[in-house]
Amino acid sequence: MKLNPIGLASAAALFTGVWAGHVAVRTIEARIRKLWPPVIFFLALGLILEFLSLCSENDLLSAILGILGITAVWDGFEFVRQEKRVKKGHAPANPENPRHAVFLSAAGSNATRNDLLKREPVGRKVDPVEAQELVQ
Amino acid sequence: MNVFGLLLGFSALFVIGLGFIWVIRGEYFFGYLWWPYTLALGILLVCFSLFIPFFWGSALMGLVGASLVWGSTELKVQAIRAELGWFPFRKEKIKPPFEKMIARWKAPTL
Repeated sequence: MKLNPIGLASAAALFTGVWAGHVAVRTIEARIRKLWPPVIFFLALGLILEFLSLCSENDLLSAILGILGITAVWDGFEFVRQEKRVKKGHAPANPENPRHAVFLSAAGSNATRNDLLKREPVGRKVDPVEAQELVQ
Repeated sequence: MNVFGLLLGFSALFVIGLGFIWVIRGEYFFGYLWWPYTLALGILLVCFSLFIPFFWGSALMGLVGASLVWGSTELKVQAIRAELGWFPFRKEKIKPPFEKMIARWKAPTL
């Protein structure tokens, strides 16, 4: 029986694309001063990958490029969403990044240096003060 | 021109969208300790996709499998988000088989 590699290739492309994008967006957004260059870069990368996918004669290659391209376009938009998470304190702010420092010093801001998700679940609702204590 | 990859890319987007829904609703009702089951199901689906002779059938099964594997790594973080009040929280969970044993394992996060 001949094995069909297209499902495995699609799965690998999706998992790798989402994982790499997830790490890249968080890392770059925390360090970069202006947000638009990575946004443009990832949107352009995604469109180039889609173009190459359309040009590919090989269905397997077309599938991999098509899936990676869409995840790259998604990442372009994720930069903007990630910045909103930082503003709300849902993702850690980097005090050395002037863009984040503004969020941290704004009056009534919920922005925090701590990653409130970096802990084990406790199985009950947690208020904002305890949320900080749990990650100290 | 080969539109297969582009269509598959959009399918991937749709599957990820479904992933958001099942992770949020699944964690709400069942809790994050189901992660080994969703992880195993995802890996099994990817393995099964090797034996499906049709292009689209195999590809979609692979995508759903990958999304289940990814979602399994998101369940623990989703449980914490719910505890923080960022998502609805439900204390009573439908417990998985071997819950106590699984609770001792480190849940994967990426």
